Amino acid sequence: MVTVTNMATPSVTTPKKSHTGLFSSRTAGGRVPLTPSPHHNANVNSSPFNKDKTSNDGQRVPAKTVYPGNISSQLARAASTKTNWDSPKSNIARGASTPKKALELGVSEFSLTGTGAQAQEQTQTAPTPKPKKTKIKAKPIKTTVTLNADRFIPNRGSSSAIANGGSGKLNMRDQKRPKSRNGESSNSTALVTPADDATEQLEFDSLLLDDDEAETYARPSPNTVAYQDSLANACGMNVNTRILQFKPAPPESSKPIDLRQQYNRPLKAANSSAQFRRRVATAPERVLDAPGLIDDYYLNLLDWSSGNQVAIGLERNVYVWSADEGSVNCLLETSPDTYVSSVKWSGDGAYVGVGLGTGEVQIWDVAEGIKIRSMFGHDSRVGVMGWSKHLLSTGARSGLVFNHDVRIAEHKVAELVSHTSEVCGLEWRSDGAQLATGGNDNLVSIWDARSLAVPKFTKTNHKAAVKALAWCPWNINLLATGGGAYDRHIHFWNTTSGARVNSIDTGSQVTSLRWSPHYREIVSSSGYPDNSLSIWSYPTLVRNVEIPAHESRVLHSCLSPDGQMLATAAADESLKFWKIFEKKAGSGAGISGAGTSSKATMAKQMTIR
Amino acid sequence: MSSKAPEKEKDKDKSKVHRLSLKGSAKLVAEFFQYSIHTILFQRGVYPAEDFTTVKKYGLNMLVSADDQVRAYIKKIMSQLDKWMVGGKISKLVIVITDKDTGEHVERWQFDVQIFSKAAQPKAKSQPASSTTDDNQNQSPNENAAASTTASTPAPPLDKTEAEIQAEIAAIFRQITASVTFLPQLSGDCTFNVLVYADADSDVPVEWGDSDAKEIANGERVQLRGFSTTNHRVDTLVSYRLAD
Repeated sequence: MVTVTNMATPSVTTPKKSHTGLFSSRTAGGRVPLTPSPHHNANVNSSPFNKDKTSNDGQRVPAKTVYPGNISSQLARAASTKTNWDSPKSNIARGASTPKKALELGVSEFSLTGTGAQAQEQTQTAPTPKPKKTKIKAKPIKTTVTLNADRFIPNRGSSSAIANGGSGKLNMRDQKRPKSRNGESSNSTALVTPADDATEQLEFDSLLLDDDEAETYARPSPNTVAYQDSLANACGMNVNTRILQFKPAPPESSKPIDLRQQYNRPLKAANSSAQFRRRVATAPERVLDAPGLIDDYYLNLLDWSSGNQVAIGLERNVYVWSADEGSVNCLLETSPDTYVSSVKWSGDGAYVGVGLGTGEVQIWDVAEGIKIRSMFGHDSRVGVMGWSKHLLSTGARSGLVFNHDVRIAEHKVAELVSHTSEVCGLEWRSDGAQLATGGNDNLVSIWDARSLAVPKFTKTNHKAAVKALAWCPWNINLLATGGGAYDRHIHFWNTTSGARVNSIDTGSQVTSLRWSPHYREIVSSSGYPDNSLSIWSYPTLVRNVEIPAHESRVLHSCLSPDGQMLATAAADESLKFWKIFEKKAGSGAGISGAGTSSKATMAKQMTIR
Repeated sequence: MSSKAPEKEKDKDKSKVHRLSLKGSAKLVAEFFQYSIHTILFQRGVYPAEDFTTVKKYGLNMLVSADDQVRAYIKKIMSQLDKWMVGGKISKLVIVITDKDTGEHVERWQFDVQIFSKAAQPKAKSQPASSTTDDNQNQSPNENAAASTTASTPAPPLDKTEAEIQAEIAAIFRQITASVTFLPQLSGDCTFNVLVYADADSDVPVEWGDSDAKEIANGERVQLRGFSTTNHRVDTLVSYRLAD
């Protein structure tokens, strides 16, 4: 008890200052004060009592009746407890120099009157609560009493320490103090503080501990509690709660952020980059049967000409479907000992190159329906071909790539040696300056058309066969390559520097890649397990849409000459047309239309002997 | 965890209805947390804006990360948070933004959760609105007003409609978004951490470990709006390092 009062005495003098400080900071801008200390709390709580203590009983009574309100069960209990002790206590309080008076002074730490004499008085009267305590303890409601009797300032400190575990509790306490006074019955004025403290303690117990009274009994002494709490408080911790952190490190940001840029950017741009606005038709425009389509990843059996005709190789036949008329013609049928392994339209759309399983390469005039010439040289099947004006490059199972000048009798003008396994991807850059090839040896070779002795770059990043190759239409140095089932990646290359500039893990075999000529997007077709089409934004690499396209793996794809439609052929022996790059009405449609028509008039510029 | 809640409420008869709404309320709060995390990550530039996509929620266009890793990370947090919320184990959720280079905590978003359990119910729930505007010190003129509001408003929003709650939440998100105007510009790369203040007796999975409060030294604090449901009240507080 002595220590209790000792602790109380210093706190009588100090808090007055911080009281006002807190007050002003709260008024300013409605901001919550910096980390609240127990002092602040004590202040806030005690402020109403200042007035009460300095005023006389007569004033106090009406002040209380102003606050009627609902009373909690606990408050009610506290109130009833009070009425029980009412008579002895209030008796004491009304005596001029009685212990109660002293008690009251001790409680009102911040009373406006001088402190010296009171402090003395307080120490003298300190023992007085003791008998009171024992007396009251006889009463049935023990909890409040215990708190009440032992309570002096430290108790308040302890409760505020609990409350101070986080600043959020501050408000609650502020509100609670006036509220809890509702619980007082009008005549028990002297008991204001004890009752408050008791109820408060209870409330905090129930709020923070979810404890029942047993816990309160178990408390050794207010001193210990106060010590523990102040210790915990000093460590920024609360004894009854744990601060838990989600330990795994958050994912790294993909790039440094300048918020200034973000805030200054027009809202619309931010939105369009954040959200995929374009509506993509996810249903096929048209489905055609492709019976007998060989389910072989290494072949290239589908191509769409600049003259808007689709050629497809089905076993021993090549069919040409006119997208304009919707008519189908069988262009050729091979001899029974072989099959069509690749088809490719010449740039003018007049001829189609046909690679055969025997290694023979034929060139057909589609309009006439006649074979122009056969070119021999490969001793294994020709799985992929690519035209660059009069040059036809053919890639064979042997790993060799030949360039044929189709205008001259000695057609073979170059032999490109790099791949050690079947060549299945081959794509000329639009300007004919570079050629990209991909093979079953997981290599991507990038050739300079002027020096074909060795590849300019050989890329080994893919972990499976590389069939899908596509040159970016708006950035001539950009090449996209897609790997097979064990690789599943799309890599993007700067073919001038040879650097890999981007990568996507698609999650499935990449069977073909096509850039949109109109949007900053690339579409990939996939084999196992998705059999889907995915449209990716470039360079954000966000998958804008994924279309479940076929029932089995998509083997080939090609774009229509106007760039809006994608044709896909799949192992489910169907040919589907998707309007995935549909142009908005009136945006440059005329230009591309002119482009196609001019190409059509340019037909048959080459003379093939 | 969830078995604890019914233990506490002894009214077993109406527990069915009551518990359902408690669970629904916990879900709602947890969902609010999830969107808060996404919003803060976007607004404070923890991840690039391109990674975010908009979804309609609370009548607003909420920005949600589209990055698989970030989504997975938040999902993991939320899966545990949901359990704690339903069990009523959480008193605070804190998102701390830390400078990657210096390791200094630069911003701290704190969401205080109160559960209107039957024991705590009648207590005057803190209302940041009134407590920040009214001064608790000058009780004499204001006390009437304060008392009357405490008597009326917090006496729980029992019949608050879904729309009203949504509107309250929307107001918070508007405030969070608007807060970029006064929050200092974050310089350099930042990362974030999620803390919860959980009851000492909570079940703690391995991914979660004890931490300090990661308070901002000498930080400025601004109390934002809050919202309440039948069972919960959530208050928002942002503290930040003052510009040097």
